[in-house]
Amino acid sequence: MQKLKTSIIKELLVLTRDVAGLAILFIMPVVLIFVMALIQDTTFRKMDETRLTVLFIDEDRSDVGAAIERGLLDSEMISLEKTWNGKPLDQETLISLVAGGQYQFGIIIPEGLTGKINLKAGYFVDKALEDPDYPVAEPPEEFSPLIIYFDPVISHSYRESIRGALGKLTYGIESRMIFDLFAQKVSELLDVEDVMIYDPEGIIGIKEMSVRNRHTEVIPNSVQHNVPAWAVFAIFFILIPLTGNIIRERNTGSMLRIRLMPGSYWVTIMAKILVYLLISVIQFVLMLMVGVFLLPLLGLPVLELGGQIPAILLMVVATGLAATGYGLALGSIAGTHEQAASFGSVSVIILAAIGGIWVPVFAMPPMMQKISVISPLNWGLEGFYAIFLRGGGIMDVLPWVALLITFCLLSMLVAFYFLNKRKN
Amino acid sequence: MKTASLIELENISKTYPGSLVPAVDDLSLAIPLNARFGLLGPNGAGKTTTINILCGLLQYDNGHIRINGMSLERKYRKIRRMIGLVPQDIALYESLTARENLRFIGEMYGLKGKALRHRINESLEKVGLTQHAGKAVKAFSGGMKRRINLVAGILHEPEILILDEPTSGVDVQSRSLILQLLFELNEKGTTIIYTSHYLEEAEELCNHIAIIDAGQVIIKGETAGIITGHPGCNDLESVFLHLTGRKLRD
Repeated sequence: MQKLKTSIIKELLVLTRDVAGLAILFIMPVVLIFVMALIQDTTFRKMDETRLTVLFIDEDRSDVGAAIERGLLDSEMISLEKTWNGKPLDQETLISLVAGGQYQFGIIIPEGLTGKINLKAGYFVDKALEDPDYPVAEPPEEFSPLIIYFDPVISHSYRESIRGALGKLTYGIESRMIFDLFAQKVSELLDVEDVMIYDPEGIIGIKEMSVRNRHTEVIPNSVQHNVPAWAVFAIFFILIPLTGNIIRERNTGSMLRIRLMPGSYWVTIMAKILVYLLISVIQFVLMLMVGVFLLPLLGLPVLELGGQIPAILLMVVATGLAATGYGLALGSIAGTHEQAASFGSVSVIILAAIGGIWVPVFAMPPMMQKISVISPLNWGLEGFYAIFLRGGGIMDVLPWVALLITFCLLSMLVAFYFLNKRKN
Repeated sequence: MKTASLIELENISKTYPGSLVPAVDDLSLAIPLNARFGLLGPNGAGKTTTINILCGLLQYDNGHIRINGMSLERKYRKIRRMIGLVPQDIALYESLTARENLRFIGEMYGLKGKALRHRINESLEKVGLTQHAGKAVKAFSGGMKRRINLVAGILHEPEILILDEPTSGVDVQSRSLILQLLFELNEKGTTIIYTSHYLEEAEELCNHIAIIDAGQVIIKGETAGIITGHPGCNDLESVFLHLTGRKLRD
């Protein structure tokens, strides 16, 4: 334990005296958060141009369900996904896909909706044309509403657009039914044909829903995206000082000396892991403070943290371990600090781009969305999304934690293989 | 039961992965207790490889090593505590002060408290660095770095001190002080194994030497005996050139 403490103190001293390394660890990500949060409008505006795929289950299987489906497809901004893995979507799958962030919206048209709207429309018409000899039947009981599931990552305004569009659609359909029934009754009473002509264009204006114009107001999402995104990026950038530290120790002979000290080699490696893990936590806290206290000063919204501190801590530790493992692997493979720094920084930037740090994954083309899942930075970001945007807890981040820890273990295996290889 | 020689290397061979030529080829050496042993050879002769093998830092392909009668492989945990290493490079943390470096190394060897402080102060004084103890090593001159590098190897008072070119690139004063310190340590019972390209220095310091080339021992024995055993050679350098030739090595 004394050796671990000694090694940790040594690592902290070495790190705190590396001014360039500290700048990379703390100043660079803060600057990135500011810059990216401020230019977020441009980034998120690109989302307007992306066709939104909405999960859709029609349990009504009748006129209303078909009309809503047709109306949504006519919008040209929405495509509907009615199957998953080759099977028709069910409610449970739809909810889990939206909850998991793979889709932003899911709509369920409840069973028997057409029949119940017909009954209600009939009641209104009968009531309006009430004949004292034929009392009107009681109105039908309240029926299941149309359900929209949404991913919290979507801005409020975007969500309102979809909800408003569906509202217009259903209102129009309902109105048309009432009009049709009314026309039918009046025709019967007056014994004439085509008493009223219903003009659907006048009411159902799905092409007027203007999703695109409204969902440009995505300021809350920019902060909620950029703060965890660049915090994850910063955590992975610890590999620059970490690889430098490992390679310097190796090339100056310090590692030879450490290996000769009884029981010191693995203690030294453990100390590095712990110190860089601590740095990850400090970085993350710093980034959160930027989101909570500094970004609002620029007119941006306050970052809402939610109350899941244990889940946040678990994600920070898992992300920090993944980054440290990657740094150890690179440090053990690379021959020089220049090699490690250039490959390390470029690889993190590429993984960040793939993983949705620069542009959120759901705004990427479908092909890139599929590729994004290979990036450890994406796993980190999705985990933090699960906490900050979906209100998730420990159980919700466990899949991302498992991926990050697995990546860490694999990286460490690579590191230990190369460290041992150098011994031979 | 102690053996006649403190260190025995028997038929040691080592070929690095990817290389066809062995770095050390069937090398056998016996280093007496309390010797000042010079391991000499031209560039690429296998000196550093031999030292790293001896320290247990590099695996070897064949042979046996015994130190104080114990197998290096079987009793490595015990043996490595006996060894102090002064690597060819300045194996210190340049951003840390001299005292911080020594404190780290001392604590890793299990020293602590007053005993450690005393050892650090005593060692710094011996190499004339007391006044510079609080300075970062990167601010040191080449000679100061060599001296603190030496102190880092002897802080835990090893029985065997292995030095890989400890005076490389230092001024005459620093070299003189380092050699003086090595004599003092040897007088107190430390066995010294030393490599250098400065043959005049090796002749002055070492009472036993082995000259190796291409991973093999060319000659070994007492320094004086080796020089007198080569008529026409009046110093170690002329013996060395006589045995290894004048062909340039890369």
